Amino acid sequence: MTSVPVSAQEQPLVRSKLKSKHSILGLIILLLFLFPLTQLITANNLNYYLHLMLFIFMYIAMASSWNILGGYAGYISLGHNVFFAVGGYFSSYLLLRDGYSPFFTAPIAGFVAMALAFLVGFITLRVRGPAFIISTIALVLVFRIRLDNWERLGGANGLKLPLIDLPVEQIKFPFYYGMLILAIITVYTSYRIRHSKFGLGLRAISQNETKAEASGIPTSFYKIFAFAISGYFVGVAGAMWGYYLTYITPSIFLLILVGAQMVLMCILGGRGTVAGPVIGAIIMIGTNEFFLSEFGSSELNIFGTGAILAAVLLFFPEGIVGSLRKIGRLPAILDWD
Amino acid sequence: MITDFLNGEYVHEVQILIFSLTLGGVYALMASGLTLVFGVMRIVNLAHPAFIFIAAYISYYAFTELNLDPMESILINVPLMFIFGVIVYRVFLASGADQPRYTEKTVLLTFALALMIEGVLGYLFTGANRSTTPTYTTEVFFTGEAQYLVPKAQLYALLMSLVLIIFTWSFLQFTRMGYAIRATMQNRAAAQTVGVNVKWVSTFSFGMGTALAGAAGALMSFLFSFFPNTHWEWVALLLSLIVLGGMGSLVGAVVGAFLLAGTAGLVSDAYGPSWSPLTFYAALFLILLIRPQGLFGKKLEMT
Repeated sequence: MTSVPVSAQEQPLVRSKLKSKHSILGLIILLLFLFPLTQLITANNLNYYLHLMLFIFMYIAMASSWNILGGYAGYISLGHNVFFAVGGYFSSYLLLRDGYSPFFTAPIAGFVAMALAFLVGFITLRVRGPAFIISTIALVLVFRIRLDNWERLGGANGLKLPLIDLPVEQIKFPFYYGMLILAIITVYTSYRIRHSKFGLGLRAISQNETKAEASGIPTSFYKIFAFAISGYFVGVAGAMWGYYLTYITPSIFLLILVGAQMVLMCILGGRGTVAGPVIGAIIMIGTNEFFLSEFGSSELNIFGTGAILAAVLLFFPEGIVGSLRKIGRLPAILDWD
Repeated sequence: MITDFLNGEYVHEVQILIFSLTLGGVYALMASGLTLVFGVMRIVNLAHPAFIFIAAYISYYAFTELNLDPMESILINVPLMFIFGVIVYRVFLASGADQPRYTEKTVLLTFALALMIEGVLGYLFTGANRSTTPTYTTEVFFTGEAQYLVPKAQLYALLMSLVLIIFTWSFLQFTRMGYAIRATMQNRAAAQTVGVNVKWVSTFSFGMGTALAGAAGALMSFLFSFFPNTHWEWVALLLSLIVLGGMGSLVGAVVGAFLLAGTAGLVSDAYGPSWSPLTFYAALFLILLIRPQGLFGKKLEMT
């Protein structure tokens, strides 16, 4: 990536480090794939842990997806949960009407979210900075009103979905694997984008859009395309999440807090880095779960989310990965860029 | 058209406009603090409605515990919220005001602040809908040949808002501090060069914006019922007003407020009340599409 020449002696060392990093990450993924199977062998009930982990995978996917626009291109969207809702409603509606499993319609739900992102981005990505952020908040509220009044989709009461037909010890398996695969694909996509010409263009936009435009980057196309891609994975996640919850209402998907969580995870982990959203998601869900079980109050949870966000912005604006890299202490295992 | 009005052709519509335009004044007061803070410091204060809610709760307790009329509790709210604003500005927002991506940072910081306030309010006051009920909230005036209904509470709120907005405008226009604030709005660096203490001006204007939120909260306490997490709806509503009027422009905020309040009233009458907020958001998208700097705004480098 950088132009610093690596001396002949160092090269094998770097390569072996890289190799060991890849094998460690590979091993972790393998273990994650095998983990649910232990439930079939041993009698332990792991459903709670499976739930927690698939929740983390989902947010890894959503935060990494958000990062494509918010991190690389620097356009902060506080309304990404709209795509979450669109994905969820699309797949749920098809399940109820025609009986198609959301696992098959999820990729299509992603494309629906993507199409919406194209449309919205075409309007709102003409403005920069704060005006864009405001428009994304308005987008959430527009969809909230629309869905609250959409009788065919159940209005404010939402839709009830059938439970997936599996024995209780396997009931979380499809969701676990679905979310795990989604998370892996999203992080990999995010990595590939970062290293592509497209990603370079996005990062140029986040540095200085006028100069980026002047140097020949098709900025408006890049921005809209980044918005669309970052809507895609959130839409897919929404499709599976609705089926998992077995009911779907505007008030679950279109809370400001849901959109805020994606933003917070990225900023906490490090905006614009590949590993940042992953670390942010793990830490946030972990601490959330801790606060909920210790204090049990969702009000304190809201306060905590706000306080963490403020503290990170004030003291570590580059997040965990960015700050560690700055002081040269980033462990190689977390350096995915 | 005018004769139709006089002949009573549009009685229903005029009545709707009376209801909605009297609310426009309060919208304008709420938005004026927001637009002032943006104008001086380029802070998009997403926590502004949360500040209004804090003030509404103060007024609520002043009303229930001390038997103080919400109009009178403005006198408590304004100094309290001014101090609160100064502290918030100093702790959260003062640093890095001259850095390039300051505005964006403030959006996120005030967003975090709004979440914190929402959490605290929800914890302290629980999720019950509240509003103050001074006697005039249930009374109405009748006016004109067609016997139009004018709710007393809304009329009082409108007059009070107009007084406060005119006061704010005169303050900006005619006092020394007002000169300094407007100079900072126009060009921060140049103002500093000619001897304006921009740091103090910024702190003061943020306090002033928060104090305006305090006054608006007192009026809100008897006009609308409030609930800790409904402040997000107000964020988008107020922001769409000031985006329409032009961010940073006080006149724009007032014009935007009355324009949208009137439109929302008519939409609500025609299509049902749940659709009226959509007017605001639709206006927001429309204005971003057609004229991003708003009606009265100067073209801004929005970074």
